[in-house]
Amino acid sequence: MDALTWWVAVIAALMAAAWYLSYNAARLDRLHARVEGSLSALDAQLVRRAEATLELANSGSLDPASALILAGAASESLEAHDERAGYQRPGDDLLEGQLFSGREVAESDLTQALQIALTAPVVEQLHDDPGLAGGPALARVRAAALRVQLARRFHNDAVKDVQRVRRKAVVRWFRLAGHAEMPQTIEFDDELPAAVGD
Amino acid sequence: MRIGIVCPYSFDVPGGVQFHVRDLAEHFLGQGHHACVLAPADNDTPLPGYVESVGRTMPVRYNGSVARLNFGPVTAARVGRWLERGEFDVIHLHEPVTPSISVLALWAAEGPIVATFHTSNLRSRAMQAAYPLLRPSLEKIAGRIAVSEDARRTVTTHVGGDAVVIPNGVNVDRFASATPRPQWQGTDGAPTIAFLGRIDEPRKGLPVLAAAMPQVLSKYPSARLLVVGPGDAETARERMRPEVAAASEFLGAVSDEDKAALLASVDLYVAPHTGGESFGIVLVEAMSAGAPVVASDLPAFLRVLDGGRAGATFRSEDAEALAAQIVRLAADPVARAALSEAGRRRARVFDWSVVAEEVMAVYETVTHGADRVRPDGADTRWTRLLRGRVRGGDD
Repeated sequence: MDALTWWVAVIAALMAAAWYLSYNAARLDRLHARVEGSLSALDAQLVRRAEATLELANSGSLDPASALILAGAASESLEAHDERAGYQRPGDDLLEGQLFSGREVAESDLTQALQIALTAPVVEQLHDDPGLAGGPALARVRAAALRVQLARRFHNDAVKDVQRVRRKAVVRWFRLAGHAEMPQTIEFDDELPAAVGD
Repeated sequence: MRIGIVCPYSFDVPGGVQFHVRDLAEHFLGQGHHACVLAPADNDTPLPGYVESVGRTMPVRYNGSVARLNFGPVTAARVGRWLERGEFDVIHLHEPVTPSISVLALWAAEGPIVATFHTSNLRSRAMQAAYPLLRPSLEKIAGRIAVSEDARRTVTTHVGGDAVVIPNGVNVDRFASATPRPQWQGTDGAPTIAFLGRIDEPRKGLPVLAAAMPQVLSKYPSARLLVVGPGDAETARERMRPEVAAASEFLGAVSDEDKAALLASVDLYVAPHTGGESFGIVLVEAMSAGAPVVASDLPAFLRVLDGGRAGATFRSEDAEALAAQIVRLAADPVARAALSEAGRRRARVFDWSVVAEEVMAVYETVTHGADRVRPDGADTRWTRLLRGRVRGGDD
């Protein structure tokens, strides 16, 4: 082979390598964007769930003990959210520093408070009596709690995809992930109270 | 919300996925959303206004059966143009791992993408071979839906990750409001039993029911078996014992209204399926119409029947056990009425209004803060080139 052929072969190989790298970088970038999107969706639905729970607690349709339990758990959840938001400046990368950490406990607590307070007779009463202000609030709690489940599941799916791609040799060797932290799955109890689920 | 739905299977022939897509789209349109369906269809097939055709299909052997699908560069270009024109907030692909317009749309789109997995018997070989190719585009799916627990298991084992289970919807009211017809109603001592499904497909279970019938007939000689479904009736008749064949009426394929009326009329609906069912929509239809259900104990059926509370079950392929259940229920109108009532209540869970609300929750979750769906930026130059060239020869 003469020198020219060699040069052409080398340049072709380099171009193929460059294409492969940029393809993988773009793929990872898209995955990171998906994780950020799903995390912010989860965040929004958690806030909505806590706010709807507060509304239900303050509607006067529940007994005062249940209302206190719900209000307590809901404000813990909102506080955990605000604390996190305090660290964050607008434009910050959501993934930076794994800002969700620590909220799992507050969210599991709220889930359990909802399970304790929203027993079958309570839910039935809220459904059947249109005069109670808690009915619409309960519907909002249900809608938000359902979306929390979806958002968490979609987020964890996205996280697993990112983790898998970032384990690839080409991504590690060429540091295609940059400084972005490795996202982690988010685990907490998000089961709907049985009486609300159906 | 602007919703784009992609159906891989041709609208020329009826099928579970096509009905699912149609009902979903019509429900969202009824709620005031903008919904548009992209599906294959022949030029002369009449289509509802919201369906756009990508042209005729070819029969392809895939995943163990022959499916009518379309693909290739011309189709890919059409899918790309549909995406560009549609300006969708979300696109919803059905069966994204079939060689079809679903996978083409997944390839070509970027943005909020939802995918529904219907099949529960995906062959792993085809998947594994195509995996490296499919993987990066499967990563684009922001929300995965499975229509049943079995379909979900297929997703977790073959695709990876998880999926939320949102069952198939049924228009419960259409069945609940059906009026019974005297010719299909049983009398005391002459109960009517319905079977629905392809009569020449053994896994739909007609042979099991036929084997159970002699025992039923010895107790109720004038019992009638009403068989609804496509297939060769003469062959099926020949395979039955003479007395069973004499007691059977083959009605062939019937319209939706006739099916609803039949289910509202009969004393029992029997689902003797032996396997391969991932959901059992026909059970929900029967329950909606108020027919007491006797079904084989397939996992999918047990879930639909709420663990057996909304219908009687028997061990799959056990004709003796089936006969015992039929005889027991034929003798007990109170038990039948209780099953009918429990079934009607259970069916509500599968109504489109409930199901579509959950699908909408998925759309809202994946579109949260996201841009619209757009054609993939990474290969615009290629697609533009391709589209330009194909358009020249196409239009």
